[in-house]
Amino acid sequence: MALLSAKDREYLTDLFSKEMENKVKLIYFGDSKENCEYCELEVQILDELQELSDKIIVERYNVNDHKDLVEKYEVEMVPALILTLEDGEDRGVRFYGLPSGHEFGTLVQDITTFGKGAKPDLSPNTIEKLKEIDTPVRISVFVTPTCPYCPRAVLTAHNFALINPLIKAEMIEANEFFELSNEFGVSSVPHIVINRNPNTFFIGAYPEAQYLEEVLKAIK
Amino acid sequence: MVHFDLGNISSGPKDYYDILIVGGGPAGLTAAIYAGRAGLTAAVFEKALEGGAVTQTHIVENWPGFTRIEGSELGEKFAEHARSFGAELVTAEVTKITYDNEYKYVHLDNGKVVKGKALVYATGAVPRQLNVPGEKEFRGKGVTYCAACDGYLFSGKDVVVVGGGDSACDEAHFLAKMVKSITIVQNLPYLTAAKVLQDRLFSNKNVKVVYNSLVKEIRGKDKVEEVVVVNNETGEETVIKAEGVFIYVGLVPKSDLLKDIVEVDKFGYIKTNENMETNIPGIYAIGDVRVKNLRQIVTAAADGAIAVEHAAKKYF
Repeated sequence: MALLSAKDREYLTDLFSKEMENKVKLIYFGDSKENCEYCELEVQILDELQELSDKIIVERYNVNDHKDLVEKYEVEMVPALILTLEDGEDRGVRFYGLPSGHEFGTLVQDITTFGKGAKPDLSPNTIEKLKEIDTPVRISVFVTPTCPYCPRAVLTAHNFALINPLIKAEMIEANEFFELSNEFGVSSVPHIVINRNPNTFFIGAYPEAQYLEEVLKAIK
Repeated sequence: MVHFDLGNISSGPKDYYDILIVGGGPAGLTAAIYAGRAGLTAAVFEKALEGGAVTQTHIVENWPGFTRIEGSELGEKFAEHARSFGAELVTAEVTKITYDNEYKYVHLDNGKVVKGKALVYATGAVPRQLNVPGEKEFRGKGVTYCAACDGYLFSGKDVVVVGGGDSACDEAHFLAKMVKSITIVQNLPYLTAAKVLQDRLFSNKNVKVVYNSLVKEIRGKDKVEEVVVVNNETGEETVIKAEGVFIYVGLVPKSDLLKDIVEVDKFGYIKTNENMETNIPGIYAIGDVRVKNLRQIVTAAADGAIAVEHAAKKYF
């Protein structure tokens, strides 16, 4: 059975045809069902997305068979999804865990952002400050699919990553990666961890300027 | 069952709309529907919850036409309905509202400014805090205001729900399925939730209520470990072991963007006349954020209709 309804497919087909100017690559890493509960579903939703637009290219890899790519894209866990332009160059935008529920909207929004050349809609002031960052920054956004505030926290992080190659931004589905979430003391989402340091985090979907401030504060 | 939701997807807003609507709950989305029907262009600015706080409500049983519908589904239907009448739903946070003789302006957090002829303010209300020691400190470390978001993270654990109204009881019922036990702390000798909600809640074996009690402190080392409650008749203190505290003790209006521009009451609710006009012509306030007797989805929707109908006649 299809995961997307006929109506949703129609909506997305229309959206992609209007919004996408260039091709977008979705690079997926997964594993067998025994090792990855949600991988099969992710493959299915990616297949369904690919069918909706000739501008969406899906590449699928098993983590055990493609060590070179796993290393290249620094894949830590599965399912992993990396968004790039057609050239496959890593722009730091990642999803760990199935982008379902409200996070599906995040994925779609990311796809259209890449489809318009990966130039996110951020204020000039934010862009300027992000460009000034000269140390590696990793933004990990812990989410649950039922959290309506979470997409915004993920999108802001992803948009930040697109501005500066030193910034990597990942969505992490807290239920799927329960142990990791526990390690970081996640009990309310969105929970945003900077540079995988359990002590530099903030909780909530902050507006852009405040979000940036929190990130800058954490790396100071 | 895994869902793939399409909410929160929006393209950037245009520079001008006839009606600017701040807040995408039942009030704002109804305003958008009426704008569309009146042939006016409308944009709804919503930072997170397309459909509003109702999308976080477990079950809704008092919206006519549906004896029982999930809050998330009803919220989605509102959004879909507004879109079908041409409303633009913009995912963005409004950081400032300004106006001059001719236009109203909303300033977005990405720096964009959008202008419109009339502005409808429908931001609703947010959960009230308890203001007890430990609440702020343990926010995100066991203290939460959103069962839908965080409930699963407390699977198999003991939790406390603070409050005895509709929201508290409905959310406690939702949580009862996944957590080990729930202790409800209520300041009165009875719950104030609708009877149907209470009956449903008590069908769960793992729920108990501590009446006449106030939370005094939330304690723990790195995260919540226990909640100290005081009986307000005997003064006796009890310590409840819990890893999670879900707080549902009413709401405070989200009037911060307008409170320096228009008249508000001492609680911060915005004052309007029967047409939903504030004291500034062309600025309307609707839904939970305004002074009114009954804050419900139906009354919020009604406000939206009244405001836009009035604006359409007066300004267009």
